[in-house]
Amino acid sequence: MLEIVAQAVINGLLIGGIYALVSIGVTLIFGVVKIVNFAQGEFVMIGMYITYFLGTQFGMDPVLSLVISMPVLFVIGMLVQHFLIRRVLGLNDLPQIFLTFALSLLILNVALMVLTPNYRTLHTSYSDAALHFGGLYVPVAKLIAFGVAMLLSAVLWLFLRSTDLGKAMRAASQNREVAQLMGINPHRVFAVALGIALALAGAAGSLLMPFYPAYPMVGQVFVLMAFVAVVLGTLGNVVGALVASLLMGIAESLGIQFIGADSGLIVVFLLLLATLALRPSGLAAGRAS
Amino acid sequence: MKRRQFLKGAASAALAPYVMRGYAADPINIGGLYPSTGSMAQIGQACVVAAKLAVEMVNNAGGVKALGGAKLNLIISDVQSDTTVTRTETDRLISGNKLSAIHGCYASALTLIASEVCERAKVPIITGSSTDQLNKGRHFTFTPFARASQFAKAQLQMAKLVSDKPKVAVVFENTAFGTATSNGLKELAPGEGVEIVMFEPYSAGFTDAGPLINKVKASGANMLFSVSYLNDLILIVRTVKQVGLNIAINGGSGGFVIPDFYKNVGKAADGLLGVAHWNHDVNDAAQKVNTEYKKRTGEFIFEYAGGLVAQTYMLVDAMERAKSADPVKVRDALAQLDVSSGYAAMAPGGKVKFGPDGKNVYGHPVGVQWQNGDLVSVFPKDDARGKLLKT
Repeated sequence: MLEIVAQAVINGLLIGGIYALVSIGVTLIFGVVKIVNFAQGEFVMIGMYITYFLGTQFGMDPVLSLVISMPVLFVIGMLVQHFLIRRVLGLNDLPQIFLTFALSLLILNVALMVLTPNYRTLHTSYSDAALHFGGLYVPVAKLIAFGVAMLLSAVLWLFLRSTDLGKAMRAASQNREVAQLMGINPHRVFAVALGIALALAGAAGSLLMPFYPAYPMVGQVFVLMAFVAVVLGTLGNVVGALVASLLMGIAESLGIQFIGADSGLIVVFLLLLATLALRPSGLAAGRAS
Repeated sequence: MKRRQFLKGAASAALAPYVMRGYAADPINIGGLYPSTGSMAQIGQACVVAAKLAVEMVNNAGGVKALGGAKLNLIISDVQSDTTVTRTETDRLISGNKLSAIHGCYASALTLIASEVCERAKVPIITGSSTDQLNKGRHFTFTPFARASQFAKAQLQMAKLVSDKPKVAVVFENTAFGTATSNGLKELAPGEGVEIVMFEPYSAGFTDAGPLINKVKASGANMLFSVSYLNDLILIVRTVKQVGLNIAINGGSGGFVIPDFYKNVGKAADGLLGVAHWNHDVNDAAQKVNTEYKKRTGEFIFEYAGGLVAQTYMLVDAMERAKSADPVKVRDALAQLDVSSGYAAMAPGGKVKFGPDGKNVYGHPVGVQWQNGDLVSVFPKDDARGKLLKT
């Protein structure tokens, strides 16, 4: 019994690491730029395809391909901010929602057209490998993904804490007007925030590739969990999103194990509802982002 | 001759050739409802390729002879993998075109909706979808291939190929397709001497098969039945391998019997068992269709796509006998269909004849096994085209 619980927690924690990369991106954009990026999942998908093509064309390892997928998506993020999001800032919410939602649909459908809806998987030497301890097992690909996800989250946290740009970003997220008065150029900060958020989505895509098939709709699977994590962990709070993602992964896995395999999401959404009822601003309410 | 009369005469003389030609070979509209976008897009698009191939084959062979060589005109409609869209698209297709018949929609959940709309509009629909609900209280719905309940029986009997005392874990996606198939399994298991040690629905499109396989492991099963579409099944098979679980897998039908499954799972897929309502090795006609489809797509034709080629020929057979493209007459002729050769008879067993519930009275599934990237029929004996690969 203990073994089953331990295995369920391991499974949940590992997939939670991937949820974290997606949700941290969403919460960062929301925190800094104050818009909801509905297209975040599609950027995960782009990251997956970049890794897939690097893997199939040049035999590049998915983890190594992070050094390409992350910069590429960073640049895409800056461009999206510069050419699209900047135009709708300051307007009311609707144009902003429509913009990112339309972007999501656009990318999705272009991907369907260009990449075809086929599933594509990348086999690496460690794709089907697992470490076994007693009766427990830890899939290697997921362990790597989890480790790199935590590492990237830590780097982001340090960046936000201790660099000028990071502090400017947190300042802009706390109060845009005051930050501007202090001489912070919001557009530069926003562009970097978008860049980082999309680079994280790209990283999620690359890390998923060894164990999850890529297809144009794949982003939708992960973005739903990301939105729940973002709300659960308090909108705009990076650490909150991280903790919430891991919690959700574990809750989902335990739900599948002990309630039913179709009830994993029920547990996650119950967790969300309970949190909203008891702490309407999320688990990390009142804590610094 | 008065001026008006002259003009009338001249006009009809001038238009006559067009009118005559139109009369001789009005194209016959056939609707094809497939999810070419959305979550089932991949299979939907492949179905569209097959539907076009079938129409081309019919037209190149001279169309419908009883109607002066009328060509088939395929009108494809995208149902977007969505039940609401399926309802509106089916409505739109029927009201916007003079249709003789419809085929579609791959997923049972979608076909159920389309079939309801067709019943009301009195347009026949012919489908490879397997849920038994399609055969209840319907007059315009025809199902030439095996039903979900029959799949279950075949799958259970195949368990005996692997072990004398099969202990089976059943995991299934919580959709019309998954529930119908797995309930069939559960009901029939005792009669077939198969013990079900785990019976578990899961939400389709999960991110991680780990927790589910964790449960399978705890159940102590020696055979796993997975009723899933492609993406989930890939994750399940790969996770079973990761866990190092020694368990025979029967992937059933759906996502398991399409070429992409092998491409994604690779060598690990060899030896896995499944059931299909159609396979490209059932007879010579099917082999020919397979060759032609392979030329276009580079892959073998999978059950649903192959089956719908046969369905197109069944429609043509009905029109030949009805000598009409009128949907109600086509329906009546379909009800009388009785074929045992040619493209219309491409089905396991090689015979198609509809009973009053629209079921093919000879319909049964074929047990298949992945062998070196190809899907080989291995069960039952009469339909087997290759030897069972022991794993």
